[in-house]
Formats: sequence, structure tokens, C-alpha cells
Amino acid sequence: MIFEQLAGNLIQGLVLGAIYGMATMGLSLIFGVLKVVNVGHGAFIMVGAFVTLWLFDALGIIPIFAIPAALIIGLALGFICYYTVMRRLIKAPELASLLATFALGVLLEEIIKLIFGSEFRGYNWAVGKINLGITVLPFTKLYACLGSIAIAVLLYLWFNKTRAGTAMRSVVEDSEGARVCGVNVDGVYALSFALGIGLTVTSGVLLTMFIPVGINPYMGGPYTLKAFVIAVLGGLASPYGAFFGGLVFGLIENGSYTLFALLPNVEPFALTRFLSFVMLLLILLMRPTGLLRAK
Amino acid sequence: MKNKYFVGFMSLVAAFTLLFAVDAMAAPKKIVIGHPACLSGKYAKAGEQALGGIKGIVDWVNKEYGGVMVGGKKVPLEYVYYDSESKKEAVTSLIARLITADKVNAVMAPYSSGLTLRGAPVAESRKMLYMDHGGANNKIFRQGFKYIVQSIGPASRYHEGTLDMIHKLHPKAKRVALAYEDSEFAKMVMEGAESHAKKLGFEVVFKRTYPKGVTDLTPLLSALKASKPDFVIGGGHFEDGQLFNRQMADLDIDVDALSLIAAATLPAFYEALTSMAEGVMGPSHWEYGVKYSEAGAKEAGLRWIGPSQDEFVELFKKALGKNVIPDYHAAEAGAAVLSYVLAVEKANSVDTTKVRKALGDLKFMSFYGGWDVDATGLQVGHSMVDVQWQMGKRIIIWPPSAQTGRLAFPMPTFAEKAKGRMAVPR
Repeated sequence: MIFEQLAGNLIQGLVLGAIYGMATMGLSLIFGVLKVVNVGHGAFIMVGAFVTLWLFDALGIIPIFAIPAALIIGLALGFICYYTVMRRLIKAPELASLLATFALGVLLEEIIKLIFGSEFRGYNWAVGKINLGITVLPFTKLYACLGSIAIAVLLYLWFNKTRAGTAMRSVVEDSEGARVCGVNVDGVYALSFALGIGLTVTSGVLLTMFIPVGINPYMGGPYTLKAFVIAVLGGLASPYGAFFGGLVFGLIENGSYTLFALLPNVEPFALTRFLSFVMLLLILLMRPTGLLRAK
Repeated sequence: MKNKYFVGFMSLVAAFTLLFAVDAMAAPKKIVIGHPACLSGKYAKAGEQALGGIKGIVDWVNKEYGGVMVGGKKVPLEYVYYDSESKKEAVTSLIARLITADKVNAVMAPYSSGLTLRGAPVAESRKMLYMDHGGANNKIFRQGFKYIVQSIGPASRYHEGTLDMIHKLHPKAKRVALAYEDSEFAKMVMEGAESHAKKLGFEVVFKRTYPKGVTDLTPLLSALKASKPDFVIGGGHFEDGQLFNRQMADLDIDVDALSLIAAATLPAFYEALTSMAEGVMGPSHWEYGVKYSEAGAKEAGLRWIGPSQDEFVELFKKALGKNVIPDYHAAEAGAAVLSYVLAVEKANSVDTTKVRKALGDLKFMSFYGGWDVDATGLQVGHSMVDVQWQMGKRIIIWPPSAQTGRLAFPMPTFAEKAKGRMAVPR
């Protein structure tokens, strides 16, 4: 019975982990290229959730089709944020960009609250489930997981097979060297920030496909915290590492619950959180570049 | 000669004493109640309801009741409020501001046990009456505070009605699972539910908490499913209640009954979950449709005060400028104002110590139901009702004296609900 539960939770953890990974890729991309820690990360996830909710409620558009819409909105938002705020802060002390992204997050939360109100909302898109015997997976979760994997693969191909992707990698390696070689570094910064935000907003869509309730302007907080743990786990500057970190985090979060539940007189949820931060501490101490970054 | 002086002196003393006594008895120009309301932040929904309930009753007191009778005069009631943004820090500073700057006569507590508890020492240190209408945790009343009085029922009794109902109507359902948020309020509800369940002979097959702000309950619900309960009771607040129901549906956890505190009684719960919420129950302090009336009060030997249920609904709508039916957050806040009015009249004073004593001696009935507090200020005279979502509507199913419909048991499975089957009593 316990093994059945463990296996079921690991499957659920893997699905959720893929979405967590996707939700962290934007954070890692922005840090990797611009060396900016986006403290307002969760607010951008929340924007994606509201895009999905609004399209579904107002226009009847199913969440899968909200993915491209969210990506476009995220890219636009990213470019706007970059050219109005972040561009001026690239060379500024780290604290300035930290505060700026924090402020952007708060601003977004308040704008969304002004438009949609502060209630906890949700939507109901029922497309059936698949019974795996040990657990039940709604197709919406499966689509979200497959969507995350597809986006991660596309990002990989874009990074490795396109000129823009190569330019971006060159800036990550050495921005001055890239500039000498004729790379438009400012353009790469703008594109990276926009793409990072685009991915983050898109992950909001995928997250609501996994959990289509609790959508509210302040829902981003817990995801920001998780994204930092995952980013450190996978390597803060590596989007692929972040995806891998997300998978590991999802597995540990869900799998450890079953094991902790075997201990007498403990609340397993509290221990899974404890474990996540122990993991974070250990990674920082023993492998600060993350699991996938040997450098 | 000496005697003459003495008599003169004593007359002077008597005159002054009389003057001060008259002054003390004199009616104030107005009575002000202050409120660090939760109009934004995580409790905005309940906070807005409370605001509508208080405004509506203040309006009733001034226009229909003619004001508060004190010192032989009818005195108007005034309501001053600020938005605490559902934040603890703001609650404490706003209570201090209400007492020192606005010179209020009583403070309405903010929504939730946590915020109520946070504000209590500030009110207590200034000997200010603190009317708790949204903090159900019994622990608030175990701190030795003298000036706090509750209108919402205590957390430990939230699920008593649910358990009594299942015990009486479906005695074969014996296995109960308890899963609550890890908050002071929800844990107190769970303690009360567990103790009552054991008293009634139920077998508690699962008992766990989950953290505040949880985003995924899958592991907990998988374990709950394995315990094969007949029915589940749990929850904490609105957001996790939504998640609880949704993920039970995702995992196909079909039970005969599901009762969730705080969430299931709100319209937004059904709006977000639609058919998945069919058959889900929740305890409520008040629900539109309850049958408390002046005649009922007379029968019970209690004094009646306040508007009728329908009048309250109209007052609430007017106060908020919205065409919405109030929920229990509005009713319990309104009832707190009514209790204060009666206590001031009973004490014939706005002095907080005298009013607090009067509140302790008070027993009455209003649209909200019975009202009586024990020595600590804990509400003991109000009974809760249980509601269930049936065909998209909240139906009062328990107690029999208040019910507007029968219990649908077992509730449809989640697969049946997905196909559009509604909860209908058999």
C-alpha cells in the first residue's frame, strides 16, 4: 500500500515538477544573461494565471490556447519592463535591480487587483482523467506537463540552433567578448528579459492547468520562493538546470510526504518544506553552481 | 459656628458630587464604534461582508430604532473604519488610532482569529471594549482578556452539527477523515470535531494538517484516500477549501459527504468549482433562510432586537450598494453591533467596564439567532447551521428547526458530477 502511494505521489510529483521547472526557467534565463534576480517572479506567474482565467471565463478559450496568448503578453510585458526600468539598472548595484523587480511585482499585483478584484477565483475545464491504477491524472495536468516539456525542448533548440540563441549564449559566457564580436548586447539583454518574462507568464497558464483554483493577485509569493530553491538546485544561471531542478523538487516534495508520513506523531507537510530548505543549504554549501553546472 | 461651617462644607461637597453624577449620567452626543476592517488583502471578501453588516445595522439603529437610549436620551450611533489590508501590523496601529485619535467607545475586531488575537492586547491595555465577530478560536478567550466579547460561535463547535446530523441520519457512516489547515483556528475546529466524533462513536481513520498557503494537496489527499473514509471534514479558509475540493475531484476521492469550513458557504466557492461543489457541505453561523423571528424569541423567553432577516438583507444591500445576499460574516458583525447597543442601554452608560458587565448579563435573539456569552466573553448562546450545495444553491440542512431542505447523502461521485449530476436528496 505504501509503495503504491509512493509511486502514485512520485508520478504526481514528476508532472508538477515539470511545471515547476518551466516556471523557473524564466528566472534562470534572466539571471544568466542580465545577472538580475527577479524578485517579482511570482507576480508574472500570476499574470499568466489571470490571462488563462480571463480567456476562459470571458471568451470561452480553453487554457491550451491561452499558452501562445500568454507568451505574447509576457514578451510584450518583458520588453516594456526592460526599456522602461531594467535597462537603466543593468550597470547599477545589485540592490537597485532587486528593488526594481520587487516594485514591478507589487505594481503588477495592484494593477491586477484593480481590474479583477482580490477574490480567490478559479475555473473548471474538465476534459477527463486517466486512471493509472496507483493514481489518477486529469488530462489537464498531463497537457500542462507535456506543454512544459515541449516549451523546454523548443527553448533548447532555440538556444542551440538559432543565431539569436547563440548570441544569447555568447553574452552569458562573456558580454564584453560578445560585444567585440559584433553582438548587439543591449538587444540580447532586452530579448533575454522579454523571453524570461514570456516564459514565466506562460508558466502561469500551465500552473493553472495543474491547479485551476486559488487564482488571486497575491498568489505568486509561494511560487517565487519555490522558484529560488529550484533555481539554486539546478544552477541559478542555467534554464535547463532549472527545468531539471524543477523535476527533482517535484519528486522530492511529493515523494518525501509519503515517507515522512510513516514517522509517528509528525506532520509530513512541515517536514517536506524543511527538507526542501535543507536541500537548498546543502547545494549552496557543496555545489553552489547547482546540480547541472559543474563549473 | 464650627457646625455651620461644617454643614456648609458638606453641602458644597454634596452639590459637586451631584453635579458630577449628573454629568456622568448625561447622555453623550454620539456613540462611536471603530473598526480596523479587512477591505483588501486576503480577508477582503469576509471583510467587505462585515462592513456591509455593520453599516446596515448602524443604519437600522439610527433610523428605525431611533438611536441608543442612554442617560434618558436617544443617541445616534456612528461607525468609523479604516482598511487594515488584512495585516497584523496595521490592525494594532489602527486600533490605537481609533482609541486615541477617534475616541471611539468600542472597537469591532477585524476578521479572522489571528488578526483578532493580534489586536486584543492593544484594546485590552486601554480598557477598550473589543467586539469579536470574526475570530472563532477558543484560545482568544483563554488569555485572560477582560474586555473582549464574541458574537461568532467558538471554533471547537464548528462541526458538532455536521457530526450530529450524520450520526442521526446515516448511522452506518462511521469512518471519518479529518484534514485541516495548520492554523490556530482550524486546529481548534479539528480538536472539537475529533472530540465530538469520538463521543458519538465515529472512528477517526485519518487526521492530518497542511500548511497555510499550500499550493498542492495531492500527497495528503492520496494518503487520505487510502484510509477509505466514509466522509471527510476539514478545511481552514477559503483558498485552501477551494483547492481541497478541486484536488479531491482530480484524484477521484469519492466519499459520502464532504464538509469544509469557511469555504463551502461562500458563493465564490461554487463559482470557481461549479458542479464539482455539488453536495459539498459547510458549517455556517448564519445563512439566508434561517427562521429566527420575534415570535420565536418570545417563545424562547428572549428579548428580540433588530431588523427581520429580509430587512437585514435590504439594509446590507443598501450599505454596500451591491445586489448581493449577505453571508454569515455580515450577520455576525451586525449582531455584534446589536449586542453593544443593548448592553449600553442596559448599563445606561458608555463606560466600557459597565458595558462589558452588561454584555455578560445579556441574553437576546435577533435575525442572527440566540446570543449569550460566558464569563470569558466566549459565545455560548448561538447555534450554527449546516448548509449544502444542491443544484447550485445553498440549502440549510441542519438543524431540523432551521432547515430549508433535506440532506443529499451520499453526494454524487465526482465522475457523476462531471457528467452534470446534481446533489438531490433521496
